[in-house]
Amino acid sequence: MLNLTPEERKVILFVLGLAFCGLILSNLIKVNRHIEKIIIPQIQLAKININRVTLDELSGIRCVPPKLAQRIIEFRNLHHEFSSLDELKNIKGIGNQRYEKLKEVFFVE
Amino acid sequence: MMRPSLVLTVFYCWGIVLANLIRFSFWPIMGLAAAIFIGAILLRRKNFVFWIPVLVLVLFAGALNLKNSRILPKDHIHNFVLYKDSSLYRLSGFIDSQPELKNQYLQFVFRVQEAQNNRLKWPACGKLLVKLSFIRKLSYGDQLTLMGNLTRPYNFASGRGYKDFLARRGVYLIMRLDDPRQIIQHPGNRGSKLINHSLWLRTKMEEVIRRNLTDLPAGILCAMVLGQKRGISWLVNNSFVRSGTVHILVVSGFNVGIVAFIINLLLKVLRFRRIARIILTIACLLIYCLITGASDPVMRATLMGVIFLSAYLFKRSPDIYNSLAISALFILTINPGQLFDIGFQLSFISVLAIVYLYPKLEALIGLRVYKNKIWKSIGQGCLVSFSAWIGTLGIIVFNFGIIAPVTVLANILIVPLATLITLCGFTLVLSALISPVLAHLISMPTSLLINLLLNINALLVKLPLAYICL
Repeated sequence: MLNLTPEERKVILFVLGLAFCGLILSNLIKVNRHIEKIIIPQIQLAKININRVTLDELSGIRCVPPKLAQRIIEFRNLHHEFSSLDELKNIKGIGNQRYEKLKEVFFVE
Repeated sequence: MMRPSLVLTVFYCWGIVLANLIRFSFWPIMGLAAAIFIGAILLRRKNFVFWIPVLVLVLFAGALNLKNSRILPKDHIHNFVLYKDSSLYRLSGFIDSQPELKNQYLQFVFRVQEAQNNRLKWPACGKLLVKLSFIRKLSYGDQLTLMGNLTRPYNFASGRGYKDFLARRGVYLIMRLDDPRQIIQHPGNRGSKLINHSLWLRTKMEEVIRRNLTDLPAGILCAMVLGQKRGISWLVNNSFVRSGTVHILVVSGFNVGIVAFIINLLLKVLRFRRIARIILTIACLLIYCLITGASDPVMRATLMGVIFLSAYLFKRSPDIYNSLAISALFILTINPGQLFDIGFQLSFISVLAIVYLYPKLEALIGLRVYKNKIWKSIGQGCLVSFSAWIGTLGIIVFNFGIIAPVTVLANILIVPLATLITLCGFTLVLSALISPVLAHLISMPTSLLINLLLNINALLVKLPLAYICL
């Protein structure tokens, strides 16, 4: 039983090596898996994502007249997207009062 | 005769047992194993000395495999559920097992892919057992979103390890759902295509059996041929447990042997060449293994069958101890925790007991010199049954607290009958492919044999001292 040919010994060592490599990889994968947490915003408060809203949807909002809706879309297209709601103040027709109202309607994602 | 695989398997099992008893860290032992591996490479030319590091490495492999199998990934769903957690979880994933009715619950294993709790949503992994108190048409691979509470399983007060039983199957949580609105089914199937096809085949075979037989005989035949035990009542199952013949209600090596025999015979009749016959028989055995749910006894028998047939393919002489050891090693490499499963233990110990004890008992009573063939066959049957009984006695007494002296007699009477029933069952299923009328004709003697089996079993259980509960 103890007499193994050199080829058989090589096979045993190869299989053992493979098994241990598999164990190491398996352990590393398990221990180092990172978790991506996605926070879902409170959509139930009916806030609108200003970076996703369309012209039609904007025009339907009470405190946004059609010309202002157009300017918001143009501003967004020019700057790619809004990084914060404060940038709304840079749009013509949005003063402090209107901005305070729009802050309750929109959110940035 | 060389049996290196037997020695390696024994050491691998010892490694698993040691890992279960002793606490250790993964990486220091892995470092030690790496050092010993280098030593084994350096000593590979020295015959006897080479074995020492190899056996130690195999021991470490068993231990580290068990340790690794018990480590859960960071994103495993179990890591997020607290003890007595009453939070509502929303889990997305797919069904990872065939749903079945058990104790008035429809239950299945659910593989999680995404989890949500309050405003947090994250990709997760892991399996959980889902129990529905309502009936819903679900199948393997269905994509679902479940909403409910998650609980951890517990061990029973008697010490029976339900929690450990589930953990060995990779299940660490349970979700009970009472309202159909807690399940949302999505289109598509994420299950393996191979398993889907196997389950489809099993469903078709079950339909054939249930169409041609009444409830109880159909339930018993489905259990014996397809591994579907849901049609068997607790009373019938308990009756077979008491007579020590419950193993006939489980698909095992016996059924695998019959499949191999039938396929080989069919291919021989169709004039297939030897190599083609062996390859096709191996393929059919693997398909049958999938159809019956790939339980431990079926896996063991299928692997042993494949190894045996492969031996003929490679013109080597087969050895039963080697093939038994390799099949054990294969199963324990995939899931080392199975070593502590009673089904796994009984499956291997019974075969080992028969293979080891039977020749010795046969030589002891001088059965080989018997001239009367009938008495010789009966004697051989008794000895096989007695060998298996002796081999499994300790485990059965320890786990179930029952000794069934009637087992030896019951096995002599019931096992040949079970052989006939299994053969009839396979013939019934195959004949349904040819003609429903032929299937109906074959179903009649099958039903008669099953009723005879039930009556004989009932009679044996009523004998004085048939079984002793401890």
